[in-house]
Amino acid sequence: MPHECTNCGRTFPDGSKEMLSGCPDCGGNRFQFTPATPSGADRSDSRSEIADKGGEPDRFDGSGSPDPSSETGTDWVSADQKANSEFDRPRTEPSSDRLEKSDVSDRAWPETARRPEDRAEAKRSRPETDPSPPSASEQDWTEANSNGTAGEESPTLAETEESAQADARSEVVPRDELPTASDRPPAERRQSDSDDDPEDGTEEPPDPDSEAAPENGRVVSEPTGDQPSIEDLRAELNEQFESIKILNPGQYELNLMELYNREEYIISLQEDGRYVIDVPDSWRDGDE
Amino acid sequence: MGLFTELKDSISRATDRLFSEQEPKRIGIYGPPNAGKTTLANRIARDWTGDAIGTESHIPHETRRARRKENVEIERNGKTVTIDIVDTPGVTTKVDYEEFTDEMEEDDAIRRSREATEGVAEAMHWLREDVDGVIYVLDSAEDPITQVNTMLIGIIESRDLPVLIFANKIDLDDSSVKRIEDAFPQHKTVPLSAKEGENMDEVYANIAEYFG
Repeated sequence: MPHECTNCGRTFPDGSKEMLSGCPDCGGNRFQFTPATPSGADRSDSRSEIADKGGEPDRFDGSGSPDPSSETGTDWVSADQKANSEFDRPRTEPSSDRLEKSDVSDRAWPETARRPEDRAEAKRSRPETDPSPPSASEQDWTEANSNGTAGEESPTLAETEESAQADARSEVVPRDELPTASDRPPAERRQSDSDDDPEDGTEEPPDPDSEAAPENGRVVSEPTGDQPSIEDLRAELNEQFESIKILNPGQYELNLMELYNREEYIISLQEDGRYVIDVPDSWRDGDE
Repeated sequence: MGLFTELKDSISRATDRLFSEQEPKRIGIYGPPNAGKTTLANRIARDWTGDAIGTESHIPHETRRARRKENVEIERNGKTVTIDIVDTPGVTTKVDYEEFTDEMEEDDAIRRSREATEGVAEAMHWLREDVDGVIYVLDSAEDPITQVNTMLIGIIESRDLPVLIFANKIDLDDSSVKRIEDAFPQHKTVPLSAKEGENMDEVYANIAEYFG
């Protein structure tokens, strides 16, 4: 169980909204994150576990596994999110220019995001023929799909989490509601040393993708001796690994199935994890 | 938005059906980076339209945007087939700028890497939406059994698209067409050297037969 009430020990599955209004059993409003076992892990924690293991030799084109040390710089381009803005932008413009127009970094998509299973139902209609004139410099070769409408989205940390986690993150626990260290058994006290910090009144849900390690050294996942089979790992990774993973600037890992399955597609990347997508053709048709 | 989208989709589908008889089939040239896709596309375009060619390079990921050549009319054995050829960026599961740093400055390598990644996304999108058939190009001097090849051919099969596998670079000493035939026995494999123009007669005969 990923979430555990630090007061009474009740556990909640990842994504549970039960705990948003406090622990139903004891009313406690502070929770800790406990990684599930890899085989039954949910999206958020097992992602880190797989990265920690760092050893799935043929997962990425037989050229090695992701460097665990680079994981801290990872940004995930989440395909669960869908742009809710759209505007005409010629495909040939420099991506940086387009990205500068982005004002969506604070927008949240989780409420409208489609799940992968929904995307599988997406239409397969063929877009209309590229209306842009051929480029003289390319001798009648035309840039495919060069006239498009781009929506933008910039996944923030919160958007890569389950919505429940994101919600929980924003909740502030009043200091007077926090149990004192002496109220808790030693094991739990160890898990929440930050209570002693007067500034730390914010609940911290699991955050395996965070670039900065928590000051109190809480471990959200760690390699265990019980490693699942390569097949399990692969299946899990396939499920979680969405579209494009930025290991470092200029270093990417791509999930081909996810790229193939998604209705919109990424047309421009930025190293900070932002990206521009081309919205579905049916939307674009309406703008033209 | 849902209703609107559905309406648009249905109109789009109806339009596709209406014009499908007249439209040439769009054939995507797919494969891993540096298999010779652009060289092949250029060879075909040059042979049948006389047009000049796009950029070929020994550095992987030279093609970072899908490009198409429309209305390429190929005649074979009295049969004429008109196709649109889409030359796609090489598909891979990993892109690393360090692959290019021997050839260019680091900033350029990083940019190339980013564009290559965007190119893969575009290639996959085209495969999903925009191609009626696939020419899958492999470097016959390389091991064909890779995750990328297996996955892409699996996707192509799942879509029931007609596919031809082109065992390219047969001019290389390490070339092994049989290795490719053995890897994908369910598909027709055509040996060729797009660079040298070897066996292009058989190439065009198969294109006319499969995509006509």
